[in-house]
Amino acid sequence: MKKSLKQLVIDTATKNIFLSLVIDGVEKQFVYEEGINNHSVTIMPYLEQVLKEENLTLKELDEIIIGIGPGSYTGVRIGVTVAKMISYLNNINIYTISSLALMASYSNKPFVLALIDARRGNAFMGLYKNVSGKLKIIEDDSLANIENYKSQIKVDFEIVESGKPDVSKVLKSDLLTKIDEIHSLTPNYLRDTEAERNLKK
Amino acid sequence: MYVLGVETSCDETSVSVVKDGSEVLSNVVLSQIDIHREFGGVVPEIASREHVKGITYVFDKAINDAKIKYEDLDLIAVTKGPGLIGSLLIGVNAAKVISLNYNIPIIGVHHIAGHIYANYIDNGMDFPLLALVVSGGHTELILMKEHYDFQKLGETQDDAVGEAYDKVARVLGLSYPGGPIVDKLANLGKDTLKFPRPMIDSKDFNFSFSGLKSHVINVHHNMLQRKEEINVEDFCASFQEAVTDVLVNKTIQAKEKFNVKQIIVAGGVAANSGLRKKMKEMITDIPVYFPKMAYCTDNAAMIAAAGYFQYKKQNQADDLLLNGKSRLDLEG
Ligand SMILES: [Zn+2]
Repeated sequence: MKKSLKQLVIDTATKNIFLSLVIDGVEKQFVYEEGINNHSVTIMPYLEQVLKEENLTLKELDEIIIGIGPGSYTGVRIGVTVAKMISYLNNINIYTISSLALMASYSNKPFVLALIDARRGNAFMGLYKNVSGKLKIIEDDSLANIENYKSQIKVDFEIVESGKPDVSKVLKSDLLTKIDEIHSLTPNYLRDTEAERNLKK
Repeated sequence: MYVLGVETSCDETSVSVVKDGSEVLSNVVLSQIDIHREFGGVVPEIASREHVKGITYVFDKAINDAKIKYEDLDLIAVTKGPGLIGSLLIGVNAAKVISLNYNIPIIGVHHIAGHIYANYIDNGMDFPLLALVVSGGHTELILMKEHYDFQKLGETQDDAVGEAYDKVARVLGLSYPGGPIVDKLANLGKDTLKFPRPMIDSKDFNFSFSGLKSHVINVHHNMLQRKEEINVEDFCASFQEAVTDVLVNKTIQAKEKFNVKQIIVAGGVAANSGLRKKMKEMITDIPVYFPKMAYCTDNAAMIAAAGYFQYKKQNQADDLLLNGKSRLDLEG
Protein backbone atom coordinates (compact mmCIF):
# COMPACT_ATOMS: atom_id res chain seq x y z
CA MET A 1 0.00 0.00 0.00
CA LYS A 2 1.29 3.43 -0.93
CA LYS A 3 2.12 5.57 2.07
CA SER A 4 0.03 8.71 2.19
CA LEU A 5 1.17 12.18 3.29
CA LYS A 6 -0.63 13.32 6.41
CA GLN A 7 -0.39 17.02 7.18
CA LEU A 8 -1.80 18.96 10.11
CA VAL A 9 -2.43 22.70 9.84
CA ILE A 10 -2.88 24.74 13.04
CA ASP A 11 -3.68 28.40 13.55
CA THR A 12 -4.70 30.06 16.83
CA ALA A 13 -3.39 33.58 16.26
CA THR A 14 -6.82 35.20 16.28
CA LYS A 15 -9.98 34.68 18.31
CA ASN A 16 -10.78 31.93 15.81
CA ILE A 17 -9.29 28.46 16.00
CA PHE A 18 -8.38 26.51 12.88
CA LEU A 19 -7.24 22.90 12.64
CA SER A 20 -7.07 21.01 9.38
CA LEU A 21 -6.06 17.45 8.61
CA VAL A 22 -4.90 17.03 5.03
CA ILE A 23 -4.22 13.63 3.51
CA ASP A 24 -2.46 13.55 0.15
CA GLY A 25 -3.40 17.14 -0.50
CA VAL A 26 -7.09 16.71 0.35
CA GLU A 27 -8.59 18.31 3.45
CA LYS A 28 -10.23 15.36 5.19
CA GLN A 29 -11.18 16.97 8.50
CA PHE A 30 -11.16 20.46 9.90
CA VAL A 31 -12.29 22.57 12.80
CA TYR A 32 -12.94 26.24 12.21
CA GLU A 33 -14.64 28.06 15.03
CA GLU A 34 -15.05 31.81 15.23
CA GLY A 35 -14.97 34.06 18.22
CA ILE A 36 -14.77 31.62 21.13
CA ASN A 37 -11.14 32.46 21.97
CA ASN A 38 -10.69 29.60 24.40
CA HIS A 39 -7.88 27.91 22.50
CA SER A 40 -6.05 26.63 25.57
CA VAL A 41 -9.05 24.49 26.48
CA THR A 42 -10.27 23.49 23.04
CA ILE A 43 -7.21 22.86 20.89
CA MET A 44 -6.26 19.43 22.22
CA PRO A 45 -9.80 17.97 22.41
CA TYR A 46 -10.43 19.23 18.85
CA LEU A 47 -7.16 17.75 17.69
CA GLU A 48 -8.03 14.41 19.27
CA GLN A 49 -11.43 14.51 17.56
CA VAL A 50 -10.03 15.37 14.13
CA LEU A 51 -7.52 12.53 14.30
CA LYS A 52 -10.06 10.05 15.59
CA GLU A 53 -12.36 10.72 12.64
CA GLU A 54 -9.60 9.52 10.34
CA ASN A 55 -8.45 6.72 12.65
CA LEU A 56 -5.10 8.40 13.08
CA THR A 57 -2.84 9.20 16.01
CA LEU A 58 -0.48 12.13 16.50
CA LYS A 59 2.46 9.81 15.91
CA GLU A 60 1.27 9.04 12.40
CA LEU A 61 1.42 12.63 11.20
CA ASP A 62 4.10 13.46 8.63
CA GLU A 63 4.14 17.26 8.66
CA ILE A 64 2.90 20.20 10.68
CA ILE A 65 2.04 23.61 9.23
CA ILE A 66 1.72 26.27 11.89
CA GLY A 67 0.31 29.76 11.71
CA ILE A 68 3.16 31.71 13.25
CA GLY A 69 1.37 35.03 13.76
CA PRO A 70 1.16 37.92 13.87
CA GLY A 71 -1.97 38.26 15.96
CA SER A 72 -3.02 37.64 19.54
CA TYR A 73 0.12 36.99 21.58
CA THR A 74 -1.51 34.51 23.95
CA GLY A 75 -3.43 32.85 21.14
CA VAL A 76 -0.51 32.32 18.79
CA ARG A 77 1.62 30.92 21.59
CA ILE A 78 -0.85 28.12 22.21
CA GLY A 79 -0.77 26.91 18.61
CA VAL A 80 2.99 27.30 18.34
CA THR A 81 3.54 25.42 21.62
CA VAL A 82 1.36 22.54 20.45
CA ALA A 83 2.95 22.44 16.99
CA LYS A 84 6.46 22.59 18.40
CA MET A 85 5.73 19.74 20.78
CA ILE A 86 4.20 17.51 18.08
CA SER A 87 7.12 18.14 15.73
CA TYR A 88 9.68 17.58 18.49
CA LEU A 89 8.11 14.43 19.98
CA ASN A 90 7.65 12.72 16.63
CA ASN A 91 10.61 14.21 14.83
CA ILE A 92 8.54 15.40 11.89
CA ASN A 93 8.94 18.38 9.59
CA ILE A 94 7.37 21.64 10.58
CA TYR A 95 6.59 24.58 8.30
CA THR A 96 5.54 28.03 9.36
CA ILE A 97 3.14 30.31 7.54
CA SER A 98 1.92 33.80 8.32
CA SER A 99 -1.41 33.75 10.13
CA LEU A 100 -2.38 36.65 7.86
CA ALA A 101 -1.64 34.53 4.78
CA LEU A 102 -3.93 31.80 6.13
CA MET A 103 -6.60 34.43 6.64
CA ALA A 104 -6.09 35.89 3.17
CA SER A 105 -6.51 32.46 1.57
CA TYR A 106 -10.23 32.65 2.37
CA SER A 107 -10.78 35.22 -0.38
CA ASN A 108 -10.42 34.64 -4.12
CA LYS A 109 -10.42 38.32 -5.03
CA PRO A 110 -7.35 39.50 -6.96
CA PHE A 111 -6.08 41.62 -4.04
CA VAL A 112 -6.67 40.77 -0.40
CA LEU A 113 -5.82 42.73 2.71
CA ALA A 114 -5.72 40.39 5.70
CA LEU A 115 -6.23 42.36 8.90
CA ILE A 116 -6.11 41.56 12.61
CA ASP A 117 -7.14 44.45 14.81
CA ALA A 118 -4.46 45.62 17.25
CA ARG A 119 -6.46 48.50 18.81
CA ARG A 120 -6.00 52.28 18.73
CA GLY A 121 -6.51 52.38 14.99
CA ASN A 122 -3.69 49.92 14.36
CA ALA A 123 -3.73 46.43 12.95
CA PHE A 124 -1.51 43.59 11.88
CA MET A 125 -1.86 43.64 8.09
CA GLY A 126 -0.61 41.75 5.10
CA LEU A 127 -1.37 42.42 1.44
CA TYR A 128 -1.79 39.33 -0.74
CA LYS A 129 -2.88 38.56 -4.30
CA ASN A 130 -4.49 35.62 -6.04
CA VAL A 131 -2.81 34.80 -9.34
CA SER A 132 -4.41 31.93 -11.27
CA GLY A 133 -5.42 30.09 -8.10
CA LYS A 134 -2.17 30.73 -6.32
CA LEU A 135 -1.76 32.91 -3.23
CA LYS A 136 1.16 35.33 -3.30
CA ILE A 137 2.40 38.02 -0.96
CA ILE A 138 2.70 41.61 -2.13
CA GLU A 139 3.98 43.27 1.00
CA ASP A 140 5.39 41.70 4.15
CA ASP A 141 3.12 41.55 7.19
CA SER A 142 3.36 44.65 9.32
CA LEU A 143 1.83 46.45 12.26
CA ALA A 144 0.58 49.84 11.12
CA ASN A 145 -2.13 52.45 11.28
CA ILE A 146 -5.06 51.03 9.32
CA GLU A 147 -6.00 54.19 7.42
CA ASN A 148 -2.42 55.07 6.48
CA TYR A 149 -1.78 51.55 5.27
CA LYS A 150 -4.95 51.38 3.20
CA SER A 151 -4.38 54.79 1.62
CA GLN A 152 -1.10 53.58 0.18
CA ILE A 153 -2.63 50.62 -1.65
CA LYS A 154 -3.20 51.62 -5.28
CA VAL A 155 -5.43 48.71 -6.31
CA ASP A 156 -8.92 47.54 -5.42
CA PHE A 157 -8.75 45.09 -2.55
CA GLU A 158 -10.98 43.09 -0.27
CA ILE A 159 -10.42 43.22 3.48
CA VAL A 160 -10.53 39.84 5.20
CA GLU A 161 -10.74 39.69 8.99
CA SER A 162 -12.02 36.13 9.38
CA GLY A 163 -13.12 33.12 7.35
CA LYS A 164 -12.02 29.54 7.05
CA PRO A 165 -8.60 29.29 5.41
CA ASP A 166 -8.37 27.52 2.07
CA VAL A 167 -5.68 24.97 2.87
CA SER A 168 -5.24 23.57 -0.61
CA LYS A 169 -4.40 27.07 -1.81
CA VAL A 170 -2.05 27.60 1.11
CA LEU A 171 -0.23 24.29 0.64
CA LYS A 172 0.30 25.03 -3.04
CA SER A 173 1.73 28.46 -2.32
CA ASP A 174 5.34 29.52 -1.80
CA LEU A 175 4.46 31.01 1.56
CA LEU A 176 5.62 28.11 3.73
CA THR A 177 8.97 28.20 5.51
CA LYS A 178 10.61 24.98 6.64
CA ILE A 179 12.05 25.10 10.15
CA ASP A 180 15.21 23.08 10.58
CA GLU A 181 15.86 23.65 14.28
CA ILE A 182 12.64 23.02 16.18
CA HIS A 183 13.87 24.28 19.56
CA SER A 184 14.43 27.79 18.23
CA LEU A 185 10.93 28.24 16.80
CA THR A 186 9.02 31.20 18.24
CA PRO A 187 5.91 33.11 17.12
CA ASN A 188 6.23 36.14 14.88
CA TYR A 189 4.99 38.83 17.27
CA LEU A 190 6.00 41.71 14.97
CA ARG A 191 6.47 43.85 18.04
CA ASP A 192 8.63 43.97 21.16
CA THR A 193 6.81 43.88 24.48
CA GLU A 194 5.72 47.18 26.00
CA ALA A 195 8.32 46.75 28.75
CA GLU A 196 11.11 46.38 26.19
CA ARG A 197 9.89 49.36 24.19
CA ASN A 198 9.79 51.50 27.34
CA LEU A 199 13.29 50.42 28.25
CA LYS A 200 14.62 51.57 24.88
CA LYS A 201 13.06 55.03 25.23
CA MET B 1 5.91 5.03 39.04
CA TYR B 2 7.64 7.53 36.74
CA VAL B 3 6.14 11.02 36.83
CA LEU B 4 6.98 13.82 34.41
CA GLY B 5 6.66 17.18 36.16
CA VAL B 6 6.05 20.40 34.23
CA GLU B 7 6.21 23.88 35.78
CA THR B 8 5.80 27.20 33.93
CA SER B 9 3.74 29.29 36.37
CA CYS B 10 6.10 32.25 36.56
CA ASP B 11 9.57 32.84 35.15
CA GLU B 12 11.19 29.40 35.22
CA THR B 13 10.59 26.82 32.50
CA SER B 14 11.09 23.51 34.26
CA VAL B 15 10.62 19.82 33.46
CA SER B 16 11.58 16.92 35.71
CA VAL B 17 11.32 13.16 35.94
CA VAL B 18 10.70 11.81 39.44
CA LYS B 19 10.27 8.18 40.44
CA ASP B 20 7.76 7.35 43.20
CA GLY B 21 7.52 10.91 44.47
CA SER B 22 11.07 11.24 45.74
CA GLU B 23 13.76 9.87 43.44
CA VAL B 24 14.65 12.79 41.17
CA LEU B 25 16.02 11.44 37.89
CA SER B 26 16.25 14.87 36.30
CA ASN B 27 15.23 18.42 37.11
CA VAL B 28 15.90 20.95 34.37
CA VAL B 29 15.21 24.60 35.16
CA LEU B 30 15.57 27.27 32.51
CA SER B 31 15.58 30.46 34.55
CA GLN B 32 14.66 33.83 33.09
CA ILE B 33 15.88 35.79 36.07
CA ASP B 34 18.65 37.57 34.15
CA ILE B 35 16.13 38.72 31.55
CA HIS B 36 13.66 40.14 34.06
CA ARG B 37 16.29 41.75 36.29
CA GLU B 38 16.67 44.79 34.04
CA PHE B 39 12.93 45.45 34.39
CA GLY B 40 13.07 45.21 38.19
CA GLY B 41 10.60 42.34 38.30
CA VAL B 42 8.90 39.67 36.22
CA VAL B 43 7.27 41.04 33.05
CA PRO B 44 4.42 38.60 32.25
CA GLU B 45 4.50 39.00 28.45
CA ILE B 46 8.26 38.47 28.34
CA ALA B 47 7.92 35.44 30.63
CA SER B 48 5.36 33.87 28.25
CA ARG B 49 7.58 34.52 25.24
CA GLU B 50 10.56 32.90 26.94
CA HIS B 51 8.51 29.82 27.90
CA VAL B 52 7.50 29.16 24.27
CA LYS B 53 11.06 29.69 23.14
CA GLY B 54 12.55 27.23 25.63
CA ILE B 55 9.81 24.65 26.01
CA THR B 56 10.90 21.78 23.75
CA TYR B 57 14.55 22.19 24.69
CA VAL B 58 13.73 21.83 28.39
CA PHE B 59 11.59 18.72 27.80
CA ASP B 60 14.32 17.16 25.70
CA LYS B 61 17.03 17.79 28.27
CA ALA B 62 14.89 16.49 31.15
CA ILE B 63 14.14 13.25 29.30
CA ASN B 64 17.76 12.78 28.24
CA ASP B 65 19.14 13.57 31.70
CA ALA B 66 16.75 11.01 33.22
CA LYS B 67 17.84 8.42 30.63
CA ILE B 68 14.23 7.49 30.06
CA LYS B 69 11.83 7.39 27.10
CA TYR B 70 8.48 9.17 26.98
CA GLU B 71 6.84 5.76 26.52
CA ASP B 72 8.08 4.72 29.97
CA LEU B 73 6.32 7.54 31.83
CA ASP B 74 3.27 6.68 33.94
CA LEU B 75 1.91 10.14 34.68
CA ILE B 76 2.28 13.77 33.63
CA ALA B 77 1.89 16.33 36.42
CA VAL B 78 1.66 19.95 35.33
CA THR B 79 1.19 23.14 37.33
CA LYS B 80 -2.31 24.43 36.53
CA GLY B 81 -2.19 27.45 38.87
CA PRO B 82 -1.99 29.80 40.55
CA GLY B 83 0.42 31.91 38.53
CA LEU B 84 0.78 34.07 35.43
CA ILE B 85 -1.92 32.86 33.09
CA GLY B 86 0.04 33.30 29.84
CA SER B 87 2.93 31.34 31.31
CA LEU B 88 0.77 28.56 32.79
CA LEU B 89 -0.88 27.91 29.41
CA ILE B 90 2.44 27.03 27.78
CA GLY B 91 3.20 24.25 30.25
CA VAL B 92 -0.38 22.99 30.34
CA ASN B 93 -0.67 22.72 26.56
CA ALA B 94 2.77 21.19 26.09
CA ALA B 95 1.89 18.61 28.73
CA LYS B 96 -1.42 17.86 27.04
CA VAL B 97 0.39 17.13 23.76
CA ILE B 98 2.54 14.53 25.52
CA SER B 99 -0.53 13.04 27.14
CA LEU B 100 -2.30 12.62 23.79
CA ASN B 101 0.83 11.60 21.90
CA TYR B 102 1.71 8.73 24.25
CA ASN B 103 -1.65 8.14 25.89
CA ILE B 104 -0.31 8.95 29.35
CA PRO B 105 -2.66 10.24 32.09
CA ILE B 106 -2.29 13.91 33.00
CA ILE B 107 -3.13 15.80 36.18
CA GLY B 108 -3.11 19.52 36.98
CA VAL B 109 -1.25 20.31 40.20
CA HIS B 110 -1.57 23.31 42.53
CA HIS B 111 1.69 25.25 42.58
CA ILE B 112 1.72 25.56 46.38
CA ALA B 113 1.13 21.81 46.80
CA GLY B 114 4.30 21.50 44.74
CA HIS B 115 6.25 23.81 47.05
CA ILE B 116 5.06 21.81 50.07
CA TYR B 117 5.98 18.48 48.46
CA ALA B 118 9.45 19.79 47.62
CA ASN B 119 10.10 18.73 51.20
CA TYR B 120 9.04 15.16 50.60
CA ILE B 121 11.90 14.62 48.16
CA ASP B 122 14.64 14.68 50.79
CA ASN B 123 12.86 14.61 54.12
CA GLY B 124 9.69 12.56 53.79
CA MET B 125 6.53 13.52 55.70
CA ASP B 126 5.27 12.62 59.17
CA PHE B 127 1.64 13.58 59.89
CA PRO B 128 0.13 15.70 61.21
CA LEU B 129 2.52 18.32 59.95
CA LEU B 130 2.57 22.06 59.67
CA ALA B 131 3.72 23.77 56.48
CA LEU B 132 4.80 27.39 56.40
CA VAL B 133 4.62 28.54 52.77
CA VAL B 134 6.58 31.71 52.13
CA SER B 135 7.31 33.15 48.70
CA GLY B 136 6.87 36.19 46.49
CA GLY B 137 3.20 35.37 46.12
CA HIS B 138 2.31 33.46 49.27
CA THR B 139 2.50 33.57 53.04
CA GLU B 140 0.38 30.88 54.64
CA LEU B 141 0.29 28.27 57.37
CA ILE B 142 -1.16 24.93 56.31
CA LEU B 143 -2.01 21.89 58.40
CA MET B 144 -1.74 18.45 56.78
CA LYS B 145 -3.28 15.47 58.58
CA GLU B 146 -2.41 13.05 55.81
CA HIS B 147 -1.05 13.06 52.26
CA TYR B 148 -2.67 15.58 49.98
CA ASP B 149 -4.94 16.98 52.65
CA PHE B 150 -4.48 20.73 53.07
CA GLN B 151 -6.15 22.86 55.72
CA LYS B 152 -5.29 26.54 55.58
CA LEU B 153 -4.88 27.88 59.11
CA GLY B 154 -4.09 31.43 58.10
CA GLU B 155 -2.55 33.61 55.43
CA THR B 156 -1.34 37.10 54.68
CA GLN B 157 -4.03 39.75 54.61
CA ASP B 158 -2.05 41.86 52.16
CA ASP B 159 1.54 41.51 50.85
CA ALA B 160 3.38 38.22 50.68
CA VAL B 161 6.70 38.05 52.52
CA GLY B 162 8.77 37.86 49.34
CA GLU B 163 6.93 40.85 47.95
CA ALA B 164 7.81 42.92 51.03
CA TYR B 165 11.45 41.87 50.65
CA ASP B 166 11.50 42.97 47.00
CA LYS B 167 9.98 46.37 47.80
CA VAL B 168 12.34 47.05 50.70
CA ALA B 169 15.26 46.03 48.48
CA ARG B 170 14.09 48.47 45.81
CA VAL B 171 13.92 51.35 48.31
CA LEU B 172 17.45 50.53 49.41
CA GLY B 173 18.58 50.59 45.78
CA LEU B 174 19.41 46.89 45.72
CA SER B 175 18.84 44.82 42.59
CA TYR B 176 16.07 42.34 41.79
CA PRO B 177 15.21 39.85 43.21
CA GLY B 178 15.64 41.54 46.57
CA GLY B 179 15.23 38.62 48.98
CA PRO B 180 18.63 36.97 48.66
CA ILE B 181 20.48 40.31 48.74
CA VAL B 182 18.63 41.63 51.79
CA ASP B 183 19.30 38.28 53.48
CA LYS B 184 23.01 38.46 52.72
CA LEU B 185 23.33 42.05 53.99
CA ALA B 186 21.20 41.27 57.05
CA ASN B 187 23.76 38.70 58.12
CA LEU B 188 26.35 41.48 58.33
CA GLY B 189 24.20 43.85 60.40
CA LYS B 190 22.34 44.19 63.70
CA ASP B 191 18.71 44.87 64.58
CA THR B 192 19.24 48.49 65.57
CA LEU B 193 15.97 49.96 64.30
CA LYS B 194 13.47 47.73 66.10
CA PHE B 195 10.75 47.73 63.48
CA PRO B 196 7.24 46.61 64.55
CA ARG B 197 6.29 42.90 64.46
CA PRO B 198 2.85 43.11 62.81
CA MET B 199 0.09 40.81 64.15
CA ILE B 200 2.56 38.89 66.27
CA ASP B 201 0.08 38.79 69.16
CA SER B 202 -3.10 38.32 67.15
CA LYS B 203 -4.82 35.15 68.21
CA ASP B 204 -5.21 33.85 64.67
CA PHE B 205 -2.69 32.53 62.17
CA ASN B 206 -2.91 35.39 59.72
CA PHE B 207 -0.11 37.70 58.67
CA SER B 208 0.24 41.26 57.42
CA PHE B 209 3.36 42.73 55.86
CA SER B 210 2.15 45.78 54.01
CA GLY B 211 2.12 47.96 57.15
CA LEU B 212 5.65 46.87 58.03
CA LYS B 213 6.77 47.52 54.48
CA SER B 214 5.31 51.06 54.53
CA HIS B 215 6.82 51.72 57.94
CA VAL B 216 10.25 50.61 56.77
CA ILE B 217 9.99 52.77 53.64
CA ASN B 218 8.94 55.78 55.77
CA VAL B 219 11.81 55.33 58.20
CA HIS B 220 14.20 55.17 55.26
CA HIS B 221 12.67 58.30 53.73
CA ASN B 222 12.89 60.24 57.02
CA MET B 223 16.49 59.20 57.59
CA LEU B 224 17.36 60.47 54.11
CA GLN B 225 15.57 63.76 54.77
CA ARG B 226 17.45 64.24 58.03
CA LYS B 227 20.62 63.33 56.14
CA GLU B 228 21.29 60.58 58.66
CA GLU B 229 23.74 57.97 57.61
CA ILE B 230 21.95 54.75 56.66
CA ASN B 231 23.74 51.57 57.56
CA VAL B 232 22.31 49.24 54.90
CA GLU B 233 23.42 46.11 56.75
CA ASP B 234 21.67 47.17 59.95
CA PHE B 235 18.64 48.28 57.98
CA CYS B 236 18.35 44.86 56.33
CA ALA B 237 19.00 43.06 59.61
CA SER B 238 16.28 45.07 61.36
CA PHE B 239 13.76 44.28 58.62
CA GLN B 240 14.69 40.61 58.50
CA GLU B 241 14.52 40.24 62.28
CA ALA B 242 11.02 41.72 62.35
CA VAL B 243 9.78 39.48 59.54
CA THR B 244 11.30 36.27 60.83
CA ASP B 245 10.13 36.96 64.40
CA VAL B 246 6.55 37.05 63.13
CA LEU B 247 6.91 33.95 60.93
CA VAL B 248 8.57 31.86 63.62
CA ASN B 249 6.26 33.03 66.38
CA LYS B 250 3.11 32.17 64.43
CA THR B 251 4.55 28.83 63.44
CA ILE B 252 5.22 27.99 67.10
CA GLN B 253 1.67 29.00 68.08
CA ALA B 254 0.22 26.71 65.39
CA LYS B 255 2.59 23.89 66.30
CA GLU B 256 1.38 23.98 69.89
CA LYS B 257 -2.30 24.23 69.06
CA PHE B 258 -2.32 21.34 66.59
CA ASN B 259 0.32 19.11 68.16
CA VAL B 260 2.14 18.46 64.91
CA LYS B 261 5.02 16.00 64.50
CA GLN B 262 6.93 17.94 61.88
CA ILE B 263 7.30 21.42 60.46
CA ILE B 264 8.20 22.09 56.87
CA VAL B 265 9.02 25.42 55.32
CA ALA B 266 8.30 25.83 51.61
CA GLY B 267 8.61 28.42 48.85
CA GLY B 268 11.31 30.80 47.69
CA VAL B 269 11.70 32.50 51.08
CA ALA B 270 12.51 29.06 52.58
CA ALA B 271 15.97 29.79 51.16
CA ASN B 272 16.33 32.73 53.58
CA SER B 273 19.21 32.03 55.95
CA GLY B 274 17.80 34.17 58.77
CA LEU B 275 14.53 32.25 58.70
CA ARG B 276 16.34 28.91 58.61
CA LYS B 277 18.50 29.82 61.57
CA LYS B 278 15.72 31.21 63.74
CA MET B 279 13.35 28.30 63.04
CA LYS B 280 15.99 25.75 64.04
CA GLU B 281 16.96 27.74 67.13
CA MET B 282 13.44 28.30 68.37
CA ILE B 283 11.93 24.92 67.55
CA THR B 284 13.89 22.04 68.97
CA ASP B 285 11.27 19.53 70.10
CA ILE B 286 10.19 18.39 66.61
CA PRO B 287 12.02 18.34 63.28
CA VAL B 288 11.95 21.47 61.14
CA TYR B 289 12.70 20.76 57.48
CA PHE B 290 13.62 23.03 54.61
CA PRO B 291 13.91 21.86 51.02
CA LYS B 292 17.40 21.99 49.62
CA MET B 293 18.14 25.21 47.76
CA ALA B 294 17.40 23.82 44.30
CA TYR B 295 13.86 22.92 45.41
CA CYS B 296 13.07 26.21 47.17
CA THR B 297 12.65 28.17 43.96
CA ASP B 298 10.18 27.07 41.29
CA ASN B 299 11.03 23.68 39.82
CA ALA B 300 9.22 20.77 38.22
CA ALA B 301 10.55 18.07 40.56
CA MET B 302 8.27 19.37 43.29
CA ILE B 303 5.31 19.31 40.89
CA ALA B 304 6.08 15.69 39.98
CA ALA B 305 6.35 14.76 43.66
CA ALA B 306 3.03 16.44 44.48
CA GLY B 307 1.40 14.97 41.37
CA TYR B 308 2.38 11.48 42.44
CA PHE B 309 0.53 11.82 45.75
CA GLN B 310 -2.39 13.70 44.22
CA TYR B 311 -2.89 10.88 41.72
CA LYS B 312 -2.66 8.23 44.44
CA LYS B 313 -5.18 10.09 46.57
CA GLN B 314 -7.69 11.00 43.86
CA ASN B 315 -7.20 7.89 41.79
CA GLN B 316 -8.32 9.90 38.80
CA ALA B 317 -6.64 11.88 36.06
CA ASP B 318 -7.69 15.07 34.30
CA ASP B 319 -8.51 15.13 30.60
CA LEU B 320 -7.53 17.24 27.60
CA LEU B 321 -9.86 20.03 28.76
CA LEU B 322 -7.38 20.79 31.54
CA ASN B 323 -6.66 24.52 31.66
CA GLY B 324 -4.45 26.94 33.54
CA LYS B 325 -5.93 29.20 36.22
CA SER B 326 -4.30 32.37 37.52
CA ARG B 327 -6.14 32.00 40.85
CA LEU B 328 -6.72 28.64 42.43
CA ASP B 329 -7.64 27.45 45.91
CA LEU B 330 -5.37 24.84 47.49
CA GLU B 331 -8.07 23.35 49.69
CA GLY B 332 -10.67 23.06 46.91
ZN1 LIG C 1 6.60 29.27 43.49
